[in-house]
Amino acid sequence: MQWYYSKNGTQLGPVEQGELIAKMTSGEVAPGDLVWKEGMVDWLPSGQIGELRALMPQSPPPQYGGAPTPYAPPMAAPYGSGEVIPSYLWQSIVVTILCCWPFGIPAIVYAAKVEGLKNRGDIAGAKAASASAKTWCWVSFGLGLGVIVLYMVFVGMAAASGNL
Amino acid sequence: MRPNRAILAALGVLVATIALWALKEQGPNARWMPGCLFHKVTGLHCPGCGMTRATVAAARGDLVSAFRYNPVGMVVFPLALAALGAELVAWVWGRRIGWHPRPKMAWTLVAVIAAFWILRNLPWWPFTLLAPPPG
Repeated sequence: MQWYYSKNGTQLGPVEQGELIAKMTSGEVAPGDLVWKEGMVDWLPSGQIGELRALMPQSPPPQYGGAPTPYAPPMAAPYGSGEVIPSYLWQSIVVTILCCWPFGIPAIVYAAKVEGLKNRGDIAGAKAASASAKTWCWVSFGLGLGVIVLYMVFVGMAAASGNL
Repeated sequence: MRPNRAILAALGVLVATIALWALKEQGPNARWMPGCLFHKVTGLHCPGCGMTRATVAAARGDLVSAFRYNPVGMVVFPLALAALGAELVAWVWGRRIGWHPRPKMAWTLVAVIAAFWILRNLPWWPFTLLAPPPG
């Protein structure tokens, strides 16, 4: 199994799992350093990945090295505490402005709901809102692009046949 | 860095740049621009109406006209693009972005856009200033 890891903002790897465990044991890869392998949705701090911690000689509790990290503090949640649920807020705003379709509005509303739901601990609700925001973004983007392309084809054909 | 993401991102930026250049050269009223469907169907202004003209005016350095065409868009759009740019870079590098819009801020944006949508369609001064000037 090949893992990627990051130190000081640089992506390193791939390394074999055994090598990564050795790096974690020696402290070269800190519990707060992000790691990723194929199949993971996102990068996570190495200390939060149970399958790695379980393989280390002595499993230290996850520590966050003092420096402030952009991740939520650990909590006893069934979901990984480092999990980030994208809100698609900016994407929604851009498609609403650019594509001029009313479908951008539900995207913005769903996007605005994501963080609040997550902060209240409703992870499933936040994920559902995130997925809805994503869907509406694509609908708006697709229809907006479709209209522009169709319009261009129409104008092009009209010009070619000399009607304009 | 994830190479296929980098290629996709570079392609996206390239297409956006070409589109902006074509817009700037040909002007917002070029024949191939469909204009706002919402406006065509309802006769009302949507929150994005005037944004093409505003973008062209801004690209030509005429910020005053740009704000006249779409005052809210000229504030929100660059903000959204900057945030998206940061997210795009993080995505290409397979990382996460540490900053997320707070719920309050997100709902404020929703409220501002909704209010803008209604107010710019009111036929009285000073709300008429929010509507894009014709042309």
